[in-house]
Amino acid sequence: MSHTANRDRRIAAVFLIPAIVVLFATTIYPMLYALWLSFRNYDLAKPFIPRIFVGLANYAEVLTSKAFFHALITTFKLMAMTLSAQLVLGVGIALLVSQKLPGMALARTLLLIPMMISPVIVGLVWLFLYFPELGYLNYFLGLVGIGPVPWISSTQWALTAIAIGDIWQWTPFIMMGTAAALQSLSPEPYEAARIDGNSRWDVFRYVTLPQLKPVLVSLLFLRAIDAFKIYDIIFVLTKGGPADATEVISLYIYRQSFTFWRMGVGAAASFVSLIIISVLITLFFKQMQRGQAARAR
Amino acid sequence: MMQWKKTMWAAGAVLAMTGAAWAQDKPFAGVELKMLGIGDTSVTRVAPIVGEFEQATGIKVHIDQLPYPGLIDKIIVEASSDSPTYQLLWVDSPWVGMLGEAGALEDLTSRAKRDAAEIGLDDIIPIQLQENTWQGKLLAFPASGMVWSTNYRKDLFENPEEAAAFKAKYGYDLAPAKTWAQYRDIAEFFTRKKGEKLAGEVLDKDFYGTAQAYSRVQGAITHDYFPIMRAFGGDYWDPKTGLCAMTGEPHIKAAEFMKSLIPFNPPDYLGLMWDLRTGYMERGEDAISSYWSVRTVRLTNPAEAKVAEKGLVVGYAPSPTVDGNPQPTYTGALSFAINSKATDKEKEAAWVFIKWATSEKLMRRFAEEGQGVSQFRKSILSDPALQAKYPYYKVLLESQKNARRRIFHPFYQAVEENFGVELSKYMAGETATAKEALETACNAVNSQLSIFPVEQRLRWINDVPAEVLAK
Repeated sequence: MSHTANRDRRIAAVFLIPAIVVLFATTIYPMLYALWLSFRNYDLAKPFIPRIFVGLANYAEVLTSKAFFHALITTFKLMAMTLSAQLVLGVGIALLVSQKLPGMALARTLLLIPMMISPVIVGLVWLFLYFPELGYLNYFLGLVGIGPVPWISSTQWALTAIAIGDIWQWTPFIMMGTAAALQSLSPEPYEAARIDGNSRWDVFRYVTLPQLKPVLVSLLFLRAIDAFKIYDIIFVLTKGGPADATEVISLYIYRQSFTFWRMGVGAAASFVSLIIISVLITLFFKQMQRGQAARAR
Repeated sequence: MMQWKKTMWAAGAVLAMTGAAWAQDKPFAGVELKMLGIGDTSVTRVAPIVGEFEQATGIKVHIDQLPYPGLIDKIIVEASSDSPTYQLLWVDSPWVGMLGEAGALEDLTSRAKRDAAEIGLDDIIPIQLQENTWQGKLLAFPASGMVWSTNYRKDLFENPEEAAAFKAKYGYDLAPAKTWAQYRDIAEFFTRKKGEKLAGEVLDKDFYGTAQAYSRVQGAITHDYFPIMRAFGGDYWDPKTGLCAMTGEPHIKAAEFMKSLIPFNPPDYLGLMWDLRTGYMERGEDAISSYWSVRTVRLTNPAEAKVAEKGLVVGYAPSPTVDGNPQPTYTGALSFAINSKATDKEKEAAWVFIKWATSEKLMRRFAEEGQGVSQFRKSILSDPALQAKYPYYKVLLESQKNARRRIFHPFYQAVEENFGVELSKYMAGETATAKEALETACNAVNSQLSIFPVEQRLRWINDVPAEVLAK
């Protein structure tokens, strides 16, 4: 290797140092610290409790906790509700706004607004809408003789109410990605399908959808990661209640860490949930890849 | 030239002397304090006038007002920091044990003794000071004294038709509930649907017998449950082991009683926290409701309660008991404390602020100006003119003569949270029995407590509230 090449490598390394330092300080160090915490009895509110090494005790507590598994199931229920609705609505709206009709460009822009709002603000907006006595939803329902519905204070409705807020905010994300993918689809298969006399539904099912599938999978993947971490809107609307109807994993971790102040248990729960979501997503992708490989054969 | 020099020296000397006098007059001038507070009457009354305090002392105070849920979380994070942002902390009295054991609060005992005459220590209702002590130390100073008392729609109770119908149905006179059984009867009697009549008027919306807090958020439901539990004869701790003992018959009966009130509550009962549940009484939409007196004070202020604006009359009474005989009133205090990690100068300046913000002069001014404060000074609560203006003063004064403070424990938050969730689940029907709910909550608390030696646990549960410090 020449002297110049070595010097270039050294210069490149020097330029990389700031990025590595930032990455270490903001991602790697907190993660390692959380891992260290997960093996300790660390109570932030009670400094008189010795902050000792407890081995896997925190992990054992999480894995034998009914509340943890309840939170996990609630998270998956919410994910199923929101992702399925966002997928159907997002694709539907994308197909609609991709039509060459007047006002569609404006509609596309307006539909993106919810996605740009902070989740806390979204929570507050829905709080005002859901408010039992004074909320707009119950007001309008009252005009047609329905209600009042205890949207966020009933164990039957609360999770659905959260899902509605999340669907409202994140459907535009699926819509935007799908609309962009629709623009890039090749026109030839559509011409062939039209010549063959296929119905619009058949064209969508056998031409559009297969072409969109890789994009939709990516969009769902991104949404799934986000949905698993859902926190803000629930914190604003229900704080995990009523009873434990909306207590998702993030809320469980928050309660362990910042209500009971058991930082070690909270950290252990974070790692357990990280492992669970990583395994599930890996399995999901493997399954997708197998499906694609089978179709290719 | 000489004359000019002399003039300059003289002017300099005058300036220096004035400055020295000013420094003596305002020894903490220039100190800036931040307070982590709440948006409730204990703070909202004083927050708009902190400029007057700055003018008088030169100390600048900035108050951040946060909602109650989550406030203790922020205080604990703040207390664990070596370089705190907030020197003044607003505390709810049961947090005193928690923060006190962690060493987060400055001991105010010697300051209170030193300035006893200035602050009128003897004028403060003893239980309100005791609400702020932990292990013999005064760790906070009351800014609002609380009792758990009953608020009821006096205009409805005095309506002859309603009174007669009540007597016909229940066989006794309609009056403020002395027992929890009567409380339930009253709640049941006044629960009416839209279209039915109430005091001769056709209702255009549902009217509720009561509105209790059943929300789990920040343990709101426990604030309603504990006074009922105590009335049924339940206690928090096992005196032999220092562990949670809230699984006995009185505890179960209290939980079952609370559940029996659900049909007379608004449909959003599971989401009702303090502010939401008191909102029903403030709007004149329920008949009877027991809650903390810091919210009662809003009922006489038309700017805060529609009920006062509408001309409806609210009556005030002590909290019911089980047998109707007097029992220790359930009390609390909303107080100001000093962060133990503030600098010495900041601590002294903070104490000057606390003395000013809780002074008899300021409290009387709030009362005279018409802003309700849940007072804690005997001289104000016993003032006949003020008693006429604020009918609840008599209840506040009388009911604190026989009072017992709330749960004090370093694990208070674990109690509040575990019981909040489990009781709320029971009320929602997710847990089949009260016994199961209480056992689950107690076991969760005990799993954390059992690692401590019995002596330590007993020291915590046997914390004796400090006597009046002026003695």
